[in-house]
Amino acid sequence: MTDLLEVNGVTKRFGGLTAVKNASFTLKKGEFTGILGPNGAGKTTLFNILTGFMQPTTGTIHFNGELVRELAPYKVVNRGMARTFQLTRPFVGMNLLENVLVACMSPRASEDKDKEARASYLLAQVGLGGRDKEPVETLPYGDLRRLEIARALATRPDLLLLDEPFAGLGSSEIEQLAQLIRRLHREENLTILLIEHKLREFMALVSRVIAMNFGEIIAVGPPEEIVKNEKVIEAYIGKTEEAHASA
Amino acid sequence: MKRIAPIDIAGGILVVAFLALLPMFAASNYLTGVLTVCVIYGIWASSWDFMSGLTGRENFGHSLFIGAGAYTAGFLSSIWSTNPWISLPLGVVIAIAFSLLVGFPTLRLRGPYFALAMLSASAILQRLCLIFWEYTGGEEGIYGLDPLMKTPLHYYWFVLAILVVTVIVLTLLAQSHWGLLLRAIRGDEATCQAAGINVTFYKIVSLMISAGFAGLGGALYAHYQLQVSPPLFSVVVSITVIIMVYVGGIGSIYGAAIAAILLTLLTEMLRGFGEYRLWIYTLTLMLILFFLPNGLIAPLWRRLTERLR
Repeated sequence: MTDLLEVNGVTKRFGGLTAVKNASFTLKKGEFTGILGPNGAGKTTLFNILTGFMQPTTGTIHFNGELVRELAPYKVVNRGMARTFQLTRPFVGMNLLENVLVACMSPRASEDKDKEARASYLLAQVGLGGRDKEPVETLPYGDLRRLEIARALATRPDLLLLDEPFAGLGSSEIEQLAQLIRRLHREENLTILLIEHKLREFMALVSRVIAMNFGEIIAVGPPEEIVKNEKVIEAYIGKTEEAHASA
Repeated sequence: MKRIAPIDIAGGILVVAFLALLPMFAASNYLTGVLTVCVIYGIWASSWDFMSGLTGRENFGHSLFIGAGAYTAGFLSSIWSTNPWISLPLGVVIAIAFSLLVGFPTLRLRGPYFALAMLSASAILQRLCLIFWEYTGGEEGIYGLDPLMKTPLHYYWFVLAILVVTVIVLTLLAQSHWGLLLRAIRGDEATCQAAGINVTFYKIVSLMISAGFAGLGGALYAHYQLQVSPPLFSVVVSITVIIMVYVGGIGSIYGAAIAAILLTLLTEMLRGFGEYRLWIYTLTLMLILFFLPNGLIAPLWRRLTERLR
């Protein structure tokens, strides 16, 4: 297996704050990796850097062997790296089909000649079949997440980045969405990188974990090792001294 | 993509037929002239609506393109004495050139830069016309353009035909996948980027299309007035056009065209009120914009024909 994504020494500073500190890791084709970390660990910043929405202060990112640093976000997408947003951002005033159609217009989807059919198929793929003409305004949160995924899939990604797909969802919604993501990974042979801080769902999904705290990668490994890792436990539960101090 | 409803086509044909026949009932060159100006405003307003109405990037200097088209006609026809028909395509080309000049540096940015750049560019052009008065005729402008047609009535029909073509072309574009992308840009640029769409490219091309039609309208206006002068570049023209679009219902294109015709007619009909004219006109506008923030023409038409769709 070859490396699909190679992140090397990526650092992002906002003034005095270092949001991401010297992050390096690789993703192999077909892998299902998760980035784990408490709020403010720099996960979303890292996502924004990978997808071109932010430029790193230092460091390089290679995707499919090509340097993607300083590419505009839409160019990153057209090289095969698509993302969803933590806060879903549908196009208000359009129906479900039109929301996905927009992404079907991207250069990477140029081989899909019948855009409507493709968008309709993708909606069915994510479990929103037969609801093409529904307005997005009335969609519940879980369906909006599905719509986001359909839109990302429309650009025919090699790597799909999911930014906290389960945030704000009920447990049954989470289970259904997890099934969908698992199926996409298996059947569409997608490489997936997922951010989440809901430990249980997260650990059940991914095969490899990148744990972050205060902008730094503190551990990489399979889920069963990560849950025993001291630094990870520290980041989530806190140090013993701190526990004493606050007690 | 979306089909245009038969009722819209029927309504369009009725309005155009009415406009075409109107000067026959009350034959006077005055009315024909007023209607010609109405229709030219319709071209300006619908062209503004295509770019700014769909993408939500307000253009506060549409007069830049109008003036560019008009002055191109002025220079060509009056000073270099070319065939007046050349004015129309070249007016379009020059207006598009100006759209690239302003659009390239500013449409890549978010925020008010584009609106402000358009506003300043049109103001700068107006000043330049005065500064280089030896060439542009200064305040007086350029006189003695050749008319395109023999009678005002023929010219009115010709301009009306151009308005019809403008509205049809822009509406088809707005209903196509292209138009969908422009509306998506209005919604959320970051999501468009995440969908792999080159947002800047689509904004610039839509501005070029908008500018092209505005420049054509400018050249048509020049060949109606047979004279061009600096106020064509003024903010007043830009703001008037924007108000027309808002009254018409933003993003509807046909609404903008009809509102432009009605409001221009209203200004003319209120001449009898003398100095109260502006009071009545402004009050009417304020009431419309206050009570109907989505505009008057397009929402009204949609509501009237709801059951027939």
